[in-house]
Amino acid sequence: MDLPAYVARRLLQMVPVVLGVTILVFFMIHLVPGDPARTMLGTHASPERIALLHKEWGLDESLPAQYVKFMQRLVHGDLGNSLFYRVPARELIVDRLPVTLWLIGYGTGLSILIALPLAAIAASKRDAARDQVVRVVPLIGLGFPSFWVGIMLLLAFGLNMGRLFPVGGYGEGFTGHLRSMFLPALTVAIAISPILIRSLRASLLNVLESDYITTARAKGLPERRVLVRHAMRNAVISTVTILGVNIGYLVGGTLVIEQVFALPGVGQLMINSIFQRDFPVVQGVTLVFAILVVLVYLITDVVHSLLDPRVRFE
Amino acid sequence: MRIRTTGIGAVLAAVTALAIAAAGCGGSSSGGNSGGGTGDEGKPQYGGSVVIDRVADSQSMDKTTVFDNESIWVFEQIMEPLYTVTKDGKDVEPWLATSYTLSADKKTYTFKLRPGVKFSNGQPMTSADVKFSIDEARKEDQGWGFLDIAIKDIEAPSPDTVVIHTKYPWSPFLADIALFANAVIPKDYGGETKKQFYEHPVGTGPFMWDHWTKGDELVLKKNPNYWQKGKPYLDSVTWRVVGDDNTRELQLEGGQSQVDEFPPFQTVDKLKSTPGITMTLFPSTRTDYMMMNERVAPLADVHVRRAISLAIDRAAIIKSVLFTYGEPANSFMPPQVPYYDKSTPGLQYNLDQAKQEMAQSKYPNGFDVEMLLGKGSADEHSYGQIIQQSLQQLGINVHFKQVDPSTEFANEQEFKYELGFSYWTMDIADPDELVTFAVDPNSGAKSFYTDYSNPDVIKWTHQAQHEFDKTKRQELYTNIQKQAAEDAFMAFLFYSPYRYAYTDKLHGFYVYPTGNYHMEDAWLSK
Amino acid sequence: MSVAAADAFVEAEIAEPRHGFRTRWYRTPAFVAGCVIVGTILALAILAPVIAPYDPNKQDLQNILADPSSKHWLGTDQLGRDVWSRMLYAARIDLRVGFLAVFLPFVIGTTLGAISGYYGRFGDTIISRLAEVVVAFPFFVLVIAMVFVLGPGTRNIYLAITVVGWVSYMRIIRGEVLVAKRQEYTLAAQAAGLSNARIIVRHLLPNVITQAIVFAMSDIVLDILLIVTLGYLGLGIQPPTPDWGAMIAEGQTFITVKWQLSTIPGVAVVITGLGLSLIGDGLADLLRPE
Repeated sequence: MDLPAYVARRLLQMVPVVLGVTILVFFMIHLVPGDPARTMLGTHASPERIALLHKEWGLDESLPAQYVKFMQRLVHGDLGNSLFYRVPARELIVDRLPVTLWLIGYGTGLSILIALPLAAIAASKRDAARDQVVRVVPLIGLGFPSFWVGIMLLLAFGLNMGRLFPVGGYGEGFTGHLRSMFLPALTVAIAISPILIRSLRASLLNVLESDYITTARAKGLPERRVLVRHAMRNAVISTVTILGVNIGYLVGGTLVIEQVFALPGVGQLMINSIFQRDFPVVQGVTLVFAILVVLVYLITDVVHSLLDPRVRFE
Repeated sequence: MRIRTTGIGAVLAAVTALAIAAAGCGGSSSGGNSGGGTGDEGKPQYGGSVVIDRVADSQSMDKTTVFDNESIWVFEQIMEPLYTVTKDGKDVEPWLATSYTLSADKKTYTFKLRPGVKFSNGQPMTSADVKFSIDEARKEDQGWGFLDIAIKDIEAPSPDTVVIHTKYPWSPFLADIALFANAVIPKDYGGETKKQFYEHPVGTGPFMWDHWTKGDELVLKKNPNYWQKGKPYLDSVTWRVVGDDNTRELQLEGGQSQVDEFPPFQTVDKLKSTPGITMTLFPSTRTDYMMMNERVAPLADVHVRRAISLAIDRAAIIKSVLFTYGEPANSFMPPQVPYYDKSTPGLQYNLDQAKQEMAQSKYPNGFDVEMLLGKGSADEHSYGQIIQQSLQQLGINVHFKQVDPSTEFANEQEFKYELGFSYWTMDIADPDELVTFAVDPNSGAKSFYTDYSNPDVIKWTHQAQHEFDKTKRQELYTNIQKQAAEDAFMAFLFYSPYRYAYTDKLHGFYVYPTGNYHMEDAWLSK
Repeated sequence: MSVAAADAFVEAEIAEPRHGFRTRWYRTPAFVAGCVIVGTILALAILAPVIAPYDPNKQDLQNILADPSSKHWLGTDQLGRDVWSRMLYAARIDLRVGFLAVFLPFVIGTTLGAISGYYGRFGDTIISRLAEVVVAFPFFVLVIAMVFVLGPGTRNIYLAITVVGWVSYMRIIRGEVLVAKRQEYTLAAQAAGLSNARIIVRHLLPNVITQAIVFAMSDIVLDILLIVTLGYLGLGIQPPTPDWGAMIAEGQTFITVKWQLSTIPGVAVVITGLGLSLIGDGLADLLRPE
């Protein structure tokens, strides 16, 4: 198989996928009741004022006409203006994207740092005491919703215990971000780790107890080397698959964490604009989100194929 | 053995969770008194920055079109009107104007402008600026234009005099002029377009524009040219968006912010006893109602509406949802509004009477009804459930329709609801805006979306708009309130205060019944 | 020989020995422990109407936010309702929601994943791209749209979760099948002329399904949590129906004054998750070929 050709083909396929998503969202969000003009005007809404806003926003045209306009603007990289903030939607999204990416990246990184060693410890001696503990304790993270975990972490570390971390907020500068984002990233990590540990352990055990490894041991290769080189490689494959599979859930999950830690990220923007029916922003965020998810899937597949020589995509 | 280990594992998990929770909650409140009072203690000190944490972000600084408080309470620090609301919310006092005279036919107002007032860019304020500002604000086809509808035209005969002619005698006029939409800005937007101007508005207020990172923080800095000499005391004010109630509280306790806007009711007691924090409940004009859509058959029957209103145990709601921090509402007008009548016989809890009313109605055995609930507030869910149980006793079966916030609003305004919740806060120090909205079916809101129509009430409302004699006006509003209460066109629920928690070091912070605050009076002690 | 007999003969030759399910399950401690935990919760849930001391929706406004006492074992919530009774009734809702919400996605996802991984080519492309459209779609728009079209209620949540949930299983199974189809036993079966369908169902799936089952156990808990988050945003299960999620979400606003309200249902979710994970591990042990 030719990797560059495969990647090129996948990137091309990305276009109809992303387009499909934006069309679906466009029509869905417009057909659901809820009028941004009414939300904005609140108790001061009157038919005349509503009609005026509709005209200003181009909402008085037919849906297909609106969609065409949206696509025309999109080709120029213009996502339209936020109805509520009256600034370009693109500006809003670009400003907030780094925060969300930080959260996802930092959180995923932490979760791997936590999960890999723990899974290795557990798998090294199946069913021993340490195996049991490793399998059970992270379940706390799975059982409690992330907004609960977030607040508990804030209470414990942000306020008490020497105020190690600021209470929410994004922070300034790289080190500032590392410090401010630690607790929210930890919240993300606590949420994913149990799943990661579980599946890493399962796949490590599979490998460790397979013929491959037993043969290597029989040949007298040092155990450590066996573990690290062969088992880990398979572990990475599983990790990548699990994380890739969960990317949608991850990005969606960040919005709650952004809310709790007062992080000005894309998740917050998304949920608020859906509730307010700020159509241009909803469409813009959907587009960005869709591209992100599809790219991650592509990367997952590529990594999978690179690392596992048994796998070849057609 | 292994099974036991696993059992221990489960216990471990639970214990760890509880331990974390306990550790988290241990140190946050150690009792003791909250130091400092709400008043100004000692001499104001200069310097410092105040961070105010709030639930949502502003939408825009365009004072002529936006309706959300988060925008209004910010741009009021930048742009100021001729007259402004007094501290008790019942009247207006001179601000950028020092006095006015009213002609005999009551249709011409002559204002004298305060000398020496400058915009933050150093330019002096003149009557030409005032004329421009109000002319822009009163354009009928937008935002707040409807409040200025009585204005015929404006003249600026001399730089320190403004003359305004009204089309007819209009008693709410002075209160309307005090509206923030009528605040004074530089003529012709200082050479910019309207859109450009409102991206960094310029005014005569105590603070001037610094920057705004949308969704995150909005910062204003001290205006060195402010006309009140010696003020403001603060160097800057920052408004930050923190949607989660718990996080806002923690930021305040952690010193990251100085003001926590609207902590939930259940935390008020705790905040009152937290050292270093002042928890204040400011009297507000907020009134909560349950609307009954008269286009839905049973609700058009006045006996049914009266029964529903009588069945609601307001004291119980106030105790369990507001944690005692509220008062049952007896009128659709709140106490802080001029012409509020405290003897208005708004129906209060009386289950026997409620049953009698039901017996007299066309639906003595009850009926099914749908209650609209939105994401808007967790409180709505609570009193929705309480009211559901209350109405059960009358044979009225309430089922909920839960929708997201945009849908909730839209449904109410399009009359696609049966029972729904809403509230009002005053924008001006005059009852007319609220009364027209609430009981006049010909106003845009069609009687607060209920379709309530009582010809006497409508007549009195129009009369009161042209009545300048305070005693006669009071009589009219007393009658309006009384009739509306007896017709039970809405169930008046309760009045609730504005809740603000802030650091002891902040002084001079006072929230007016209209919800705004004058940050030029605030200062931080070291 | 008949084709069937020939198949059976070949299978006997190449089939990997697998331990019979019935002979070993009670010897696997993880599985047993898990069953005990989940069984207990199930029993409590089923018996709730019998053992609950109070009506879970009965309000007692004079007695809100009470601490645990002999009258109310776990105290009362913000409307004075007995927490222990609400917990019992909530178990009914949440267990049902959890299992139902996982079942269809599991079946659909596994089927599509097997097809996608085994046959590859055009089928794989279509299925994978469809999966991407589904996952890239903002979930909350979907939920709101469904509430509008079908009316509010738990039914829409199942539907929304099914529409979105099958993708995880599809991806997992597909990944595993891609590896498994290059293994010796598959190649041997193909060489022997066994039909593709038979190979997939009887040889590939039992080997690859382990990961899917392990995931399914966590997925049940994830779905319960998803509904909690929907509740936090006001899109979840209707009040006054008790469910652990709504209890956590409602209790969230009281965290700094009465943290038990959010924590107790959370602990219930943790314990349920624990039981399910143990069952998942146990099943993985049992189904894993030697």
